[in-house]
Amino acid sequence: MGTRIAEHPILGVPQKGRLVSFTYDGKTLQGYEGEPVAMALKAAGVMVHRYTAKRHEPRGIFCAIGRCTDCVMVVDGVPNVRTCMTPLAEGMEVRTQYGATAVPFDAGEKDEASAKDGGAA
Amino acid sequence: MKRYDLIVVGAGPAGMSAAIEAAKHGVHVVVFDENARPGGQLFKQIHKFFGSKEHRAKIRGFVIGQELLDEAAKLGVTVELDSTVIGLYQDKEVVVKQGEQVNHYKGDAIVVATGAAENMVTFEGWTLPGVIGAGAAQTMMNLHGVRPGNRVLMLGTGNVGLVVSYQLKQAGCDVVALVDAAPHVGGYGVHAAKVARTGVPFYLSHTIKRAEGTDHVTGVTIAQVDSHFQFVPGTEKHFDVDTICVAVGLSPMSQLFKMDGCKVVDDRRKGGQVPVVDDLGQTSIPGIFAAGDVSGIEEASSAMIEGRIAGLAAASYLGFATDDEERAGVDANERALDGLRQGMFAPKNRGKKVEKTEEGIPVSQTLLERGYVADSEIERFPGVTHRVGIHPVIECTQNIPCNPCQDVCPKHCIKVGSHITALPQLEPDANCIGCGLCVASCPGQAIFLVDEKSEPGFAEVTLPYEFLPLPQKGDRGQALGRDGKPVCEAEVVGVKRTKAFDHTAIVTVKVPEDMSMRARFFKAAPATETD
Ligand SMILES: Cc1cc2nc3c(=O)[nH]c(=O)nc-3n(C[C@H](O)[C@H](O)[C@H](O)COP(=O)(O)OP(=O)(O)OC[C@H]3O[C@@H](n4cnc5c(N)ncnc54)[C@H](O)[C@@H]3O)c2cc1C
Ligand code: SF4
Ligand code: SF4
Ligand code: FES
Repeated sequence: MGTRIAEHPILGVPQKGRLVSFTYDGKTLQGYEGEPVAMALKAAGVMVHRYTAKRHEPRGIFCAIGRCTDCVMVVDGVPNVRTCMTPLAEGMEVRTQYGATAVPFDAGEKDEASAKDGGAA
Repeated sequence: MKRYDLIVVGAGPAGMSAAIEAAKHGVHVVVFDENARPGGQLFKQIHKFFGSKEHRAKIRGFVIGQELLDEAAKLGVTVELDSTVIGLYQDKEVVVKQGEQVNHYKGDAIVVATGAAENMVTFEGWTLPGVIGAGAAQTMMNLHGVRPGNRVLMLGTGNVGLVVSYQLKQAGCDVVALVDAAPHVGGYGVHAAKVARTGVPFYLSHTIKRAEGTDHVTGVTIAQVDSHFQFVPGTEKHFDVDTICVAVGLSPMSQLFKMDGCKVVDDRRKGGQVPVVDDLGQTSIPGIFAAGDVSGIEEASSAMIEGRIAGLAAASYLGFATDDEERAGVDANERALDGLRQGMFAPKNRGKKVEKTEEGIPVSQTLLERGYVADSEIERFPGVTHRVGIHPVIECTQNIPCNPCQDVCPKHCIKVGSHITALPQLEPDANCIGCGLCVASCPGQAIFLVDEKSEPGFAEVTLPYEFLPLPQKGDRGQALGRDGKPVCEAEVVGVKRTKAFDHTAIVTVKVPEDMSMRARFFKAAPATETD
């Protein structure tokens, strides 16, 4: 969905850092070092960052400036990280947040284990 | 506890201007900003600004931002980034969250320039991923080079909604509609017109009924509202979109003033809760000042002037500037500020319905209801005239504080006059050489060069163009009217880009003679359009 702008009529070719790899729910993706994690996810077409605790509703980027907390995810094992404010680094492990953890609501041990496998890639 | 003469909260145009002005007088200043980059809103503004030379008109926002940062750096102003001010106390103690640490600072004077936050509206599905604020869209595309979506619906026709819609198109997104519950476009007509002519339909007196999708937005339904903002049954319209962008206004971020006990009032014309300030920006607590959007939603141009005034007043409060220096500086800045606060969109006119221009010309109703001036209305405005040979046609039809068109013309063809909100017009003895500077410099993209009979049966129209791919000489396609609908076939006969045009190309198209006053945009034929 959201894709990168190759060339902009006013801003020219976007200046980006080094291309690095990171994982999203175990899948390897690429993004530019130093850009907000949320931008790398957006560029890869990821829309849902978390599901709310009570009603299990999806949330994604909303303000992009660190105010709304809709974009929080589990990053390197730490929950509630605002991905729109967190610079991307090589090897980061980014997971969808369910309530306050990276464990899907209706999933048991099995899903967690497979997620871990992916994360180690 | 670290001490400074002056602590500025917020590194936007207001805060940076305050810091610069104070530092010029030798004040030891620190600026705190919660972001990783300074500049506030300015770095997201990639369009040319309105105003006159003293307001840095026709310069793009992010360029003004860079100039401010350079000036501050030269003066040795310290800017602490990733630093969120979470507390402000009456004795001018400031509590700042910097990373995991919470640090305390003490200033002898404080300038609060925290800007504004976006308002939100709720509708069914408004929390779905894909519903974003207009600021978020700007952050994604203009700061990070990432498209917010492929197909976007914009809610809100104030300047923010209009400008961001245009920027979305520049980023290569498809804007399917501009929607507003109000019966009239809220922002500048020229901003609306440059979006409308690209083919984006406007739906006034409409709002969002629901956002559709399970995990993220896949569509949206809008419907008409009556004068009590109730949905009119049977008026629903559906659009397939992946993104809904919301631009329904800004509110001053005045929370810090409440913590320190400054007097705060609710002022609708200023956008919400604002501190009570005197003409220097000083709050009810001596030595604590406010500047920029936090003291009333306005513009970066006015925020910079308010910042300079507050910085100077702080310098004087601290004993770094004499009363005479303060008075002289403040007077000059207030004159500049007054120049900006004129015209149909001035803060004092907010919410009023303007029927006629200052010249007594009825304003275009189509512009207010659909975002463009109708063919039947355009000829009544003074900038629109017929001449032999190439000449500018100036479709600037509302009184706004702006005059770069007058400033840039090497032949002095265009006149706004000393009254900055007057509608621009062509001088009777104008001798236009077709250089295109007026076309490229007009922040409203409201000027076209027209040669009504360039050869028998044909006319040439030169228009501003800021999209990619840039048309090439020889390209064929359609000319679109002000309403964004095709009016005739067109061939590109010239494309010009120069440094002075600052990334606005000017494109000349050849159209049938009777289309010279209707053709206002060029759309390449599909074969050359696909990328
Ligand atoms: C789409 C759009 C188009 C616009 N077009 C124009 C235009 O053409 N011409 C024009 O003149 N103006 C324009 N503006 C308006 C202009 O951008 C704003 O009026 C201007 O930026 C206000 O300046 P400011 O310094 O008051 O606030 P801001 O630019 O908002 O800066 C405030 C800064 O303070 C920071 N901050 C807030 N709270 C804290 C805290 N507690 N601790 C630390 N830091 C904090 C913020 O993060 C921000 O960086 C436009 C605005 C938008 C959104
Ligand atoms: S094209 Fe050049 S000479 Fe003609 S009106 Fe515009 S700025 Fe003046
Ligand atoms: S025509 Fe002149 S006054 Fe109107 S927007 Fe353009 S530059 Fe400003
Ligand atoms: S999108 Fe709002 S905090 Fe990240």
